[in-house]
Amino acid sequence: MAAIEVRDLVKTYVLSETHRVEALRGLTLSVDKGEFLSVLGPSGSGKSTLMHILGCLDQPTSGEYRLMGRDVARLGNDERARIRNEEIGFVFQSFHLLARASALENVELPMLYGAKRPSRDERRQQAAEALEAVRLSDRATHAPSQLSGGQQQRVAIARALANRPGLLLADEPTGNLDTRTGREILDTFARLNSERGLTVIMITHDRQVARYASRSVELRDGRILTDEEIASNGASPGA
Amino acid sequence: MPKRIPVNRDTIQRLVREMPAERRTAVETAFQSLRRYPLRTALTLLGLAFGVAALMATIALGRGAQEAIRDQVRAAGLNVIEITAGNYRTRGERPIGGVEAPARHGAALPPGALERLLRKIEPVALAHPENDPMEKHDHPTAAERLGDSAAGLGAAATLTSDDAEAISSVPGVAHVASGIHESVRVFAGDRRWFTRLHGTDVDLVEIRRSFAMQHGRFFSSGELRRSSQVVVLGSVARDQLFGQDEDPVGREVTIWNQTFEVVGVVVSTNWMNPGAPGDDEFDAVYTPFTTVHQLLNVTNLNSITVTAASSGRVTEVSRAITDLLRERHGIGETQADDFTVTTQASEVLGKGLHPKVAETLAGNIPNLERTTLAQLASTLERSSRTMSVLLLAIALVSLVVGAIGISNVMLLSVRERIREIGLRMAVGAQTGDVGSQFLTESVLLGAAGGVLGVVIGAVAAVVVESSFGLAVEISVVAGLISFLVALLTGVIAGVSPARRAARLDPIVALGSE
Repeated sequence: MAAIEVRDLVKTYVLSETHRVEALRGLTLSVDKGEFLSVLGPSGSGKSTLMHILGCLDQPTSGEYRLMGRDVARLGNDERARIRNEEIGFVFQSFHLLARASALENVELPMLYGAKRPSRDERRQQAAEALEAVRLSDRATHAPSQLSGGQQQRVAIARALANRPGLLLADEPTGNLDTRTGREILDTFARLNSERGLTVIMITHDRQVARYASRSVELRDGRILTDEEIASNGASPGA
Repeated sequence: MPKRIPVNRDTIQRLVREMPAERRTAVETAFQSLRRYPLRTALTLLGLAFGVAALMATIALGRGAQEAIRDQVRAAGLNVIEITAGNYRTRGERPIGGVEAPARHGAALPPGALERLLRKIEPVALAHPENDPMEKHDHPTAAERLGDSAAGLGAAATLTSDDAEAISSVPGVAHVASGIHESVRVFAGDRRWFTRLHGTDVDLVEIRRSFAMQHGRFFSSGELRRSSQVVVLGSVARDQLFGQDEDPVGREVTIWNQTFEVVGVVVSTNWMNPGAPGDDEFDAVYTPFTTVHQLLNVTNLNSITVTAASSGRVTEVSRAITDLLRERHGIGETQADDFTVTTQASEVLGKGLHPKVAETLAGNIPNLERTTLAQLASTLERSSRTMSVLLLAIALVSLVVGAIGISNVMLLSVRERIREIGLRMAVGAQTGDVGSQFLTESVLLGAAGGVLGVVIGAVAAVVVESSFGLAVEISVVAGLISFLVALLTGVIAGVSPARRAARLDPIVALGSE
């Protein structure tokens, strides 16, 4: 079953009456549940725009978008916020951790919003489990400034997992990390993908990084240029 | 279509179920955020707290000042009515039929009339020993202390304690004190002092608002009933008899060859009238009027001192008393009063004038008094209203200043935390969540600043009171008002930053560095 179904997606930014930018020009894509997809492309290829629309942070100008079978292309702000809360976990290039909160408090953040609103104890416990999943239980009380870059990104991944979403969206997750640490993060994604069946979509401009996924899509000028399965996926975690 | 209705109902039910949780989250999140930026929180809090403290202290000072003004006015005796026995006027000036009738002597005197009047009045000044210009006195003469017009008053034996009793039930009368006045020589050991003796009532302390007991107490109603030989000394008389600032309580003085026990000393609290030799209040001694009656074997009173419940009612009350006494004394329509009702206004106007001139003036007093007292009452009211408006203005200014302070900090905090807001939105915070977080932060700041401000303000007011001697009145109402102002400030100040935060686009917010 498809986790994501996108058809003829168009996003046009109107900058002025004479100047419009067509970031996406009729993109069609389908991602199955449990896939690990990388979206590759140079800057200006439309990959960030795609990420925003897939992450329900933005609406397409036209086209269809079904997330977990639900049509989400035309939802309002608050409904999209709810989808983001329940279905999507975000991992950003610059981590976006609250500097003055502990790792545990950062992971709790998504649980403060949405429909479920677990109690404080449930939150604590769920956040601890998420930290356990990224192997950071021993750093729960540390502030982000006391953690290494890789550890910070793992806290961010734990936060993305906190509400147990079906989809993990990572935007250049290794962009601020050195190669070795970056590989650690990519291994974490691969593990979560294979162990939990989590659908992972990772956006990157780095071909090496893109090869960690099981499938890679390359964008150029708002359209899909290539779409290929990566056979050597199984070898990457051990590399 | 059939699908939509259950969804709506479901949504509403879910919203209702969630409401407390959302509010709880907002408060929790707001608390966390405030705690994570302790310095900023503290500075904002202090800013507001000082505004509120200023408001609180100003209210306390303002109310204290109002009270002080009211006390001073009372101390000045504006609501005092003096009824003296006898009437030096040949005919009653009381305008018959009350207010409309113009005073008979109210018109301007014809040229030369004043001189003629003065000449005619000359023989009236009786050959009292004190009035002999060749006589040397070791004391101020009655004329010196009281003025010519008053010196002859009270001689007639027309007022009784029963009159005083009757007056006390006139509507608008607050206090009544009988008075019988004598000039006496008071002996204390080898010292002596010629002064006024006032046989009076226990109510006198209430009437003379400027009286304060420096030592001991005023005589009691029991001593009044028993005609006890007790005496309260005016501060000036005490200075002369026992020495400056001595405490003579328990010691004895001799008046009319009788021994009196000193039970207290009165001093003035009114800075306009500190008490000086020759005055009638503090160069004087006070005993129960019953004691004077018994010792002198008389039953009459020289005067009855009355206070009206409010200064605005003085004219009304004095007229009621006049009517009552005329009836009690069986005085016919055309006959003159056998007593004189004087109010503060008439006394001030007549002071130092020749009796006949004073009399002429006195004819106008009912009209004059009506206007002046009404004016005075309204002036007082106006000044207290001005004070209230001033307080309101200060409250408003501190509200505005506090609101600007909080608003600034909150706006700054929104800008500073723009990425945090973006992140919160990305992980599922709805516009309402973000808005209520910032509004709650602001309200929490307002409430905390309010509490802190009320405490600081109360302390400041007490400090001001003790170190500058200003009158201060701290009330629960003032505290409550100050707190509510702070809370309101928090709400108002939070609205704009909260809206700004809630309207942010998560993509823009996340992307900003």
